[in-house]
Amino acid sequence: MRVTNGAKIAAASALLALAVAACGGGSSSPGASGSADTPVRVYISEPQNDLIGGNTGESGGAEVLKALYAGLVDYNDKAEPQLEIAESIEHDATNTNWTIKIKPGYTWSDGTPVTAQNFVDAWNFTANSANAQQLGSYFSIVKGYDALNPADPDEDGPKTAPPATTKTLEGLKVVDDSTFTVELTHPFSGFETALGYSAFFPLPKAAFGADGKLVAAESTSPITNGPFKIAKPYKRGTDQTISVTRNDSFKGGKAKVANIDYKIYTDPETAYNDLLAGNLDVMDTLPASQVANAKATFGNRYIEGPSSGVGWLGFNIKTGGVYATNPELRKAISMSIDRKTITQTVFSGTRTAADDNISPLIPGYRQGACGEACNYDPAAAKQLWESNGGSAVKEVTLSYNADGGHKEWIEAVANNLRTNLGVAVTPKPYEKFAAILDDLGAKKVQGAFRLAWLMDWPLPDDYLRPVFGTGGSSNYVQYSNKQFDELLNKGDAAPTLDEAIKFYQQADDLALKDLAYVPIYFYQLNAAYSQNVKNVKLDPFEALDVLNIEKA
Amino acid sequence: MGRYAIRRLLQAIPVLVGTTFLIFVIVYALPGDPIAALGGDRRLDPAYVAVLREQFHLNDPLLLRYWYYVRGVFSGDFGTTYRGVPVTQIFQGKFGVTFQLAMTALIMEAVIGLGLGLLAALRRGRWEDQAVLGFTLFLVSIPPLVMGFVLQLWLGVKLKLNTGLDIFPVAGNAEGLRSYLLPGFVLACTSIAYLTRLTRTSLVEVLRADYIRTAVAKGMSRRRVLGRHALRNSLIPLITYLGADLGSLMGGAVITETIFNLPGIGQQLFNSVYLRENTVVVGIVTVLVLVYILANLVVDMLYAVLDPRIRYE
Repeated sequence: MRVTNGAKIAAASALLALAVAACGGGSSSPGASGSADTPVRVYISEPQNDLIGGNTGESGGAEVLKALYAGLVDYNDKAEPQLEIAESIEHDATNTNWTIKIKPGYTWSDGTPVTAQNFVDAWNFTANSANAQQLGSYFSIVKGYDALNPADPDEDGPKTAPPATTKTLEGLKVVDDSTFTVELTHPFSGFETALGYSAFFPLPKAAFGADGKLVAAESTSPITNGPFKIAKPYKRGTDQTISVTRNDSFKGGKAKVANIDYKIYTDPETAYNDLLAGNLDVMDTLPASQVANAKATFGNRYIEGPSSGVGWLGFNIKTGGVYATNPELRKAISMSIDRKTITQTVFSGTRTAADDNISPLIPGYRQGACGEACNYDPAAAKQLWESNGGSAVKEVTLSYNADGGHKEWIEAVANNLRTNLGVAVTPKPYEKFAAILDDLGAKKVQGAFRLAWLMDWPLPDDYLRPVFGTGGSSNYVQYSNKQFDELLNKGDAAPTLDEAIKFYQQADDLALKDLAYVPIYFYQLNAAYSQNVKNVKLDPFEALDVLNIEKA
Repeated sequence: MGRYAIRRLLQAIPVLVGTTFLIFVIVYALPGDPIAALGGDRRLDPAYVAVLREQFHLNDPLLLRYWYYVRGVFSGDFGTTYRGVPVTQIFQGKFGVTFQLAMTALIMEAVIGLGLGLLAALRRGRWEDQAVLGFTLFLVSIPPLVMGFVLQLWLGVKLKLNTGLDIFPVAGNAEGLRSYLLPGFVLACTSIAYLTRLTRTSLVEVLRADYIRTAVAKGMSRRRVLGRHALRNSLIPLITYLGADLGSLMGGAVITETIFNLPGIGQQLFNSVYLRENTVVVGIVTVLVLVYILANLVVDMLYAVLDPRIRYE
């Protein structure tokens, strides 16, 4: 029976090959205890663009930027601004003219000092739409933005915009190496708070080539001014790890760990398994399916808290069906939604029931601001619905984009409405969120659609103006309330932040009364970390506090 | 033989042009503006969108865009993604990973599939045969997705936590060859089962053939009968299967690469379709078509080597 033996040998050698391979690779993996230099490994999704402040508007890139760059201001635990590079940020009585002084001693990773010119250069570059920086429109509040970006006279039509006559923002002036002034187009009391957003980060002189564009090296190994610097060039689209190493000359404090590896994952479930196995140290967005397990497994290494995200159902209040245009019917719909049960069951606790348009994380949030409109009361809802002619409504549509995991909660809301209001409901999936916007533009959306918003900076105006303000960038419902806009403007012109917040809250009350967007849920932060690290904190933007994390 | 190969390669050119054009039309016909998708839920600044649309010729007619693309490809430029990464840079890093994964899977298929098939055929009707049958049934009935996650949890996470044996990395390809064992097996699972059964059937049939009886009657050694006559003659359907499988392994690695976070072409293809990165999709599919054509050509060439009766002239 030689052949059978042969088969045995073949099988045995295959096993042997496995064993040898297993031994061969063993030496390369670091031990669990880890020396001081083994990097802390942090989960991120792949950054969308190069690691440049003005071009980073999503969480994966923002997480890395937090380690690489320092801005004029940073935020404390209460999401209030505190000066970082800025020595002082002063404004005149109108809140339109701002003078910013920067501290000496901050340097770029190429050794040059951080100057006022670096901020002005970066802002001019970002604001210029010819440079296609995603956050360019944030500079529309600075005087001269329109001259830099002339409008297309017929939008999508055959005519093109006239060429810009300037390459700089008129409102930015460098006074000396450590001082510059900013003139805004209108008063904005929250400008200091806004300055912590990555759109307002500086760029070094060496980042720009002779043509005024960024040099190629900026995309793989940018010159940075933060607590960490790039350890080896990062090839976006190819590399799975972004390695950063401590910048020992950083003036804002010395990080307690020497190296951080940001590991890029496509599937959070995979990252969670890596976290379980001890191959990953910090994960700031646990997959919803694992949250219950994570609580049990990680114990006090599991972090839960409010996040800045708010989710709404928006109604087509101008061209939609009768239930979308009548505020009382919108309120009835809102009251018939069992937010608590939906957030606990459908979202397994990764969301909480919303009772304001502003996240609980933000100074200015008021518990229960939404009042009875956000309370689950099926009987009252039914009564309100019927007394306002809701019985005549044939069908309610709920539009959502199918690519973002929204199907389940939209179906749950649909069931609430069917049961509590006795109305037919059709959930309508779209392929992408942009497709909903196309249909809204074409007036084809009858009813409600979902929308979520994450803050750029921690102030109520960052929620209210884009979503509810007349002509706001995410005001897809064409809500327009003069009184509301005036209150926002009053807030912007208020001498102090506290006074500004009072006006913003009054504006919020109007939005909550009109209910063009009905708040449904607040996002939760669900994070966990391994036994290798301690003192893990996440900032209001859910980015890791890189200065304070320690090896355990 | 050489002329045959050249003819086949020339035939591949219209196939390639046709596929790229078809794929090009299909990806651009997908609903949703790729530029708008960059912003997620947020509406991007119109000026920003306008600059990008201009830069990527999105306002031009489809045929003109295809011409720009083909012109670029012939000068070695596969374009850039809407996120500003050159497609060739993506290729450089990612095809290697997928190739390594596909080869690992192919070798596992060949070794395990042929080995088990051989065992089952020679032990036909006995308990070994039954065991192999049961094992293959088990392999085909578990979807790769489930197999991937279960093996990742048991062999990647639990084995390390419970025994301290760090043999199979959970994710990524940082550990070299070791990183490919588990994903390679998951990818190969279904094919191992098919190949085992194919080998068994094919071999059982050949072993019944007259020429095998003749060979045995001549007093030839059992090893020689099996090696020179039985195995060689049963290999043709197996090679056909393996050749066709290489193509599907390269393209079918989407699930496996996502579960194990391997930065390969399958994962990239899925993400690119999702993000409407049209240039990447067209580029990857073109290369995959090329791989498919070449693999099938090699298979056809092997026929002639295995079976002297087959000639290509």
